[in-house]
Amino acid sequence: MIKKEYIRSVLNVFASSPFKPLVMHANKGGDCVRKLNESLQAYCNGDMEKVEALNKEIDVIEHEADVIKQTIRSELSSSIMLPVHANDLLNFLKPQDSISDDAQEVAFWLTVRRLEAPDEIRVGFNDLMNKTLETVELYEDLVSTLGELLETSFSKRDVEDTLVLVTKVEEMEHQVDIIEKELVKQIFRNEDAIGALGVYHLARLVRGIGDIADKAEHAADRLRTMVLRR
Amino acid sequence: MSLFDPLVLLLVAAGLYMAWNIGANDLANAMGTSVGSGALSIKQVIIIAGIFEFGGAVLFGKRVTSTIAKGIVPIDSISAIDPHLVAIGMLAAILAAGFWITLATFYNLPVSTTHSIVGAVLGFGLTAGYYGMIGYSEIKWDVLTKIVGSWLVSPLLGAVIAYIIFTLIRYFILQKTDDPYIIEKKFVVLQTMTACYIAFAHGSNDVANAVGPIYAGLNSLDMAGVSVPLWVMVLGGIGMVVGLATWGYRVIETIGTRITELTPTRGFSAEFATASVVVLHSYSSLPISTTHTLVGSVIGVGLAGGLAAVDLSVIGKIVVSWIVTVPVAALTCALIFAGLLGVGI
Repeated sequence: MIKKEYIRSVLNVFASSPFKPLVMHANKGGDCVRKLNESLQAYCNGDMEKVEALNKEIDVIEHEADVIKQTIRSELSSSIMLPVHANDLLNFLKPQDSISDDAQEVAFWLTVRRLEAPDEIRVGFNDLMNKTLETVELYEDLVSTLGELLETSFSKRDVEDTLVLVTKVEEMEHQVDIIEKELVKQIFRNEDAIGALGVYHLARLVRGIGDIADKAEHAADRLRTMVLRR
Repeated sequence: MSLFDPLVLLLVAAGLYMAWNIGANDLANAMGTSVGSGALSIKQVIIIAGIFEFGGAVLFGKRVTSTIAKGIVPIDSISAIDPHLVAIGMLAAILAAGFWITLATFYNLPVSTTHSIVGAVLGFGLTAGYYGMIGYSEIKWDVLTKIVGSWLVSPLLGAVIAYIIFTLIRYFILQKTDDPYIIEKKFVVLQTMTACYIAFAHGSNDVANAVGPIYAGLNSLDMAGVSVPLWVMVLGGIGMVVGLATWGYRVIETIGTRITELTPTRGFSAEFATASVVVLHSYSSLPISTTHTLVGSVIGVGLAGGLAAVDLSVIGKIVVSWIVTVPVAALTCALIFAGLLGVGI
């Protein structure tokens, strides 16, 4: 409701667009993962102070993402007409929101235990993190195409461009899966050096980082449904 | 009867207030869409609106003005009893409509000045019937039915035309382009034209809400003939442009900053549809609400997939405002008219 502007206006028919906040929300997820990447570098270098500091920063960004998500949901009442199905939009918002949630969780797990592992594992973690970050950044590019899609009111060409990006995100997530499995094997091969507790902790980290890419892929998939099922 | 008779002066003053109100709000609404899309600056919009609103009112506003003045209530029968009765009744009608509009503006309700004045004039007619000045059957119910029917048809027609225009733009232009932003830039020129068109249309239809009652009063006092005098139309035009310049620019500003979603292609579609529907009704002598037609047209663009988010709950609010406005304006007018007769004016 407009507060006391003393006008009888056409404004009431214009609802606020959920698409700009959606792009902002995707970028918050991206920011979380970029911070997590920094945090993992610090972790591998044994700089636990920095890991702690970054964990707090990620908490803040994740909360900002939650606020955007809540705003989008609360503004989508049943009387709002969108160029896509509102349900599809909400279905895609959910996994997108999990990107920052999962990054937050990994950031926390980095703070609880120092890294005691051979160099090959550090390299493996770096590869996994880099590929995951790449996946998420490609996903951000994908979401930003929504602006152009709306502008041309979903022209065939733009829809195709978007769908190509969806496929790319999916392919990249598959590569993350491969790195993830290899890293888990490596960790278990070094079981004697790392110790049972270390294996548990590292396996959990691997799983957590892999989940981030999973969520990006999942959200990309839902985005495709949203764009195709208009 | 002189122009400086207190009753005539009051009627003209009330009409001017109504015109100011229409310019400050309804015209600003119609023009705000051009600012929102970035097609025009506020200054440009005010200049365009000033010229074309005035032109529409003076050149094409007489038909609807006659409908408001003589189309609903048989003023000739009433003025046969006493010419002052019509002037008093029409003064009551403007005051009632003005009061209701001011209240609606205060509470941000989507009430139309057109609906208010038609309701108020009907209230005058019904009161005249109650006092036995005319028979109830002498009120031109067939015209009134047509008018109310046009209130339903005009937003729907706006929606259909806007839907078709935007679908064509989308299919033949937007979907074939590499860079939609260049297309939008090209549409800025077209939207400048529709801004003129919509101002002209608005002037041609809504000026009647202010000057219709003035003309009715002057006509029965033998100060105006069969045709609406030019100076009356000019007065209405000036009143609306002054309303826009003194208050309406703030409304335009508010609307302009809020509806950035309405890019030039979308704005063009909605404005062209609205202006065409309004001009058509001005031609058919039917008073309709420009704002409601514009809302219909915007929804049409939304239905064609042109807008990121459209709030359909506004339809319910508008329907409620239809149902409430006519009885409330009629009743208020009846009370004021009876009151004015009671104190012996």
